[in-house]
Amino acid sequence: MNATLAAPLRFDWKTGLLAPGLLLITSSSVFAHNVEKHFKVEPRSVVTIHNPDGKVVVKAWTKAEVMVIASHTSDKVEVDVEQTGNRVDVMTHQISDTISPEDLRADYQINVPEDAELQIHDDSGEVSVANVLGDMNVETVGAGVDLEDAAGYLTVKTVGGSFQCIRCAGRLEVSSISGSFKLLNLRSYHVHAQTSKGNILFDGEFLPNGIYRLKNYSGVIEVHFSPGDSFDLSATSVKGRVNSQANLTPPAHARPVYSKFGNAILGTFNAGHAKVELSSFDGTINILKRD
Amino acid sequence: MATFTCRDFQDHFESSEDGPRSASPRSLRVQAHLRDCPSCRNFVEDLGTIRAAATQLAVSDPEPPERIWSSLRAQLQQEGIIHEAPAKQSWFHEFFGFGLPRPVLAGGYLAVLLAIAFGLSGPINSRINRQRWLDGTQSSLTPLSAQLTSAEQASLLSLPASESPVAASLHKNLEIVDNYISLCENSVREEPENELAREYLYEAYQEKADLLAQLNER
Repeated sequence: MNATLAAPLRFDWKTGLLAPGLLLITSSSVFAHNVEKHFKVEPRSVVTIHNPDGKVVVKAWTKAEVMVIASHTSDKVEVDVEQTGNRVDVMTHQISDTISPEDLRADYQINVPEDAELQIHDDSGEVSVANVLGDMNVETVGAGVDLEDAAGYLTVKTVGGSFQCIRCAGRLEVSSISGSFKLLNLRSYHVHAQTSKGNILFDGEFLPNGIYRLKNYSGVIEVHFSPGDSFDLSATSVKGRVNSQANLTPPAHARPVYSKFGNAILGTFNAGHAKVELSSFDGTINILKRD
Repeated sequence: MATFTCRDFQDHFESSEDGPRSASPRSLRVQAHLRDCPSCRNFVEDLGTIRAAATQLAVSDPEPPERIWSSLRAQLQQEGIIHEAPAKQSWFHEFFGFGLPRPVLAGGYLAVLLAIAFGLSGPINSRINRQRWLDGTQSSLTPLSAQLTSAEQASLLSLPASESPVAASLHKNLEIVDNYISLCENSVREEPENELAREYLYEAYQEKADLLAQLNER
């Protein structure tokens, strides 16, 4: 009786010791790599982020400080965060020669002063930036890029990643090969968006003297306008269609190339204060009245 | 002896059957006037140039249909610019080959002849232009295309076999760009003077170069 009682008791005791040990081993390889660092910075600081794979979330805050929280699951990569003067460099790099794509993943949450300048390179994963008003350069391969309430000189380049910009201002240049763009509630005075195989949606303001160039090879370019907008429009599709709901005044001097090759709509809406150039190779261009 | 004026020259020009270069005394005065008057000299030279061009065009291109001449004549008559040909035919008539009787309206003739010359030369110019554009585009693109192909082969050979999503994405997008290059090349071949198609083709090459650079960086 005692033996029978003792045996299960001994067994439970071992299990009780083994289970947390196993959990500890497991958790050390999955959750062990968390880094949090803080750096005091001056106005107009620069933050560079280089991450092969993972999620990068950057938010502005009111502190004169950069905070980096990084997490990764693999022992084959490590996170370096260094400050040099007014610049903070964040980098994920591999420390093993044999590494799988999954091992490269690292996620970041970074808080920066709102006037910070950002340079972000993230091959795959996701980039999200909110409320940062400094200049910004984002390059990705497959990672999508979301900007909200950004300003300054914004340059975004992706290979296949999509791009969304909500309430952005300043100057925007975005290019991709197969990524689609959504430019919503924009207040930019200069927009240059070009993708090969992607759609472009522009729903923003046409500021006086602003220049808006949207271009793709195929896909749909859709532009929304309000009755009070004022722009000069040139919309050309070499092989596709151009549809417009804008009541345009025809131009005095149309470039013959537009009428000779492809389908084109040219003209002035109201006083023509902004310049809108839309072009596609074999995609469709829609210029639609805003609801 | 009264001064021989430009007006006299024009009168002589329209009534003369033998042209301004005959040896009659009046023609000698005409020739003297031509020596002294750059304006009339230019006029005669222009006519000579047009005549030469018209001859060349007639040799190198088929005669336009009769309906064009009829329509042109009817239109000019309707507008009062020309009238029915007089019975007497001047050298000027022979000069241009059809019965337009009033050289005093030389401007009108010139305009008509220039229009005809343009009409005749249009298809030729168009063909020549297309060929020029095609030649120009090919001469600039052939080396570029060869370089890119060579760079692509080198990039793909040097790349380690990788199953990463990033490499897959780069390859997929390279295919997309190659497809656009092919489409644009066809379009440029069909319409070599199409500026927009050429622009798209150049940009597709640029994109391919960027992609290959990214592949090489890995």
